[in-house]
Amino acid sequence: MPQLNPEFFVSQLFWLVVTFSFLLVFLWRISLPRIGSVLDKRERKISEDLATAKKLQAEAENIQEQIDSQLIQARSQATNILKQTSNSLQNKAGEELENLDKELDLKINDSAKTIEKNKKESLENIENQINDITKLTLSKIIKLNISDEEIKKAVKSAGRSVN
Amino acid sequence: MASKDGEKHSPLEQFEIIPMTHNKIGGYDISFTNSSLSMVITVAVITLFLTLTVNPRSIVPNRLQLVSELMYNFIAQLLSDTVGNNGKKYFPFVFSLFMFVLIGNMVGMVPYQFTFTSHIIVTFALASVVFIGVTILGFLNHGIKFFTFFYIPGVPFYMHPLLIPIEVISYLSRPISLSVRLFANMLAGHTLLKVFAGFVVAMPFFTGVLPLVFIVALTGLEILIAFLQAYVFAILTCLYINDAYHLH
Repeated sequence: MPQLNPEFFVSQLFWLVVTFSFLLVFLWRISLPRIGSVLDKRERKISEDLATAKKLQAEAENIQEQIDSQLIQARSQATNILKQTSNSLQNKAGEELENLDKELDLKINDSAKTIEKNKKESLENIENQINDITKLTLSKIIKLNISDEEIKKAVKSAGRSVN
Repeated sequence: MASKDGEKHSPLEQFEIIPMTHNKIGGYDISFTNSSLSMVITVAVITLFLTLTVNPRSIVPNRLQLVSELMYNFIAQLLSDTVGNNGKKYFPFVFSLFMFVLIGNMVGMVPYQFTFTSHIIVTFALASVVFIGVTILGFLNHGIKFFTFFYIPGVPFYMHPLLIPIEVISYLSRPISLSVRLFANMLAGHTLLKVFAGFVVAMPFFTGVLPLVFIVALTGLEILIAFLQAYVFAILTCLYINDAYHLH
């Protein structure tokens, strides 16, 4: 069996030491740190990304909360404004209605006064004319000079009884 | 080495050491042989693969880089599982040992390539490095208390005269079992392949196909064994290192 032939034992040991030492030093100093750094970097990158994702998620939740609260606020503000507007509109409408009522009352009063005045004037006119007619008739029937005052009184009393 | 005609087709012929140069230093023959060539190829394959496939800037690895990282993680996991945090210091050594044996076995699976792990002197040297290193480590960690490693607590006192020698022998036989396991596996596997290869030529007509099929199957098995033995070598090294920290 060639394995038991000691002729090349020293050579094999020598080359084993040479090659294995080279391998050990090379891997120890160059290859393994490189692979290790890659793995470290990847792990760090993954954990960093996870942390960033977590942070962003928290931020997003924050923003969502803000949006929600702002929405609630806006809604209440809107209802407030609506209430105020409808209130003020109602007030205004009420005022204007009152004003209109007042104006109408005034106009009605004016009209009533005018009508009264017209009526008075007309009645006076009629009275005067009755007086005139009475005077004329009397003067035609009897030559009697009666003063206007007396006629007026007479007509009035007659009118009163007629009325 | 002049081989006789009778040995020409011996299945053990493949383990013959053939010097390629003739060098002597201080009376010792350190000729560069086919075994040395295999070692150099093995080291070149490992260093080139681990250097060329790993791009330190890539966050996302490609397939080949993944292979390197898997090997790294495989041994790192093995060490942390068996030794724990103390094991990180020995990672380069265990990794080098694992890769050296694994790729040495794999290079040996290439036809016409020499398998240096099939030589007891090589495996014994590797196992001795582990054994001596672990023993020194044990003494460094525990001083003279390291000898309590051979004392098994919780055993009736009259058993100790029997158990302590057994423990000592089993400890001292560690490098032998470690080296012979690897050497014998490689020797047997390659011899078997060679024997069946001989059958292919020797069998008449087309019946030679049958041993050829066997060779294909055995080659698969040998590749499995090549990995398995490297793994066993590495895990036993880890366990020995663990023993140096935790005596019992």
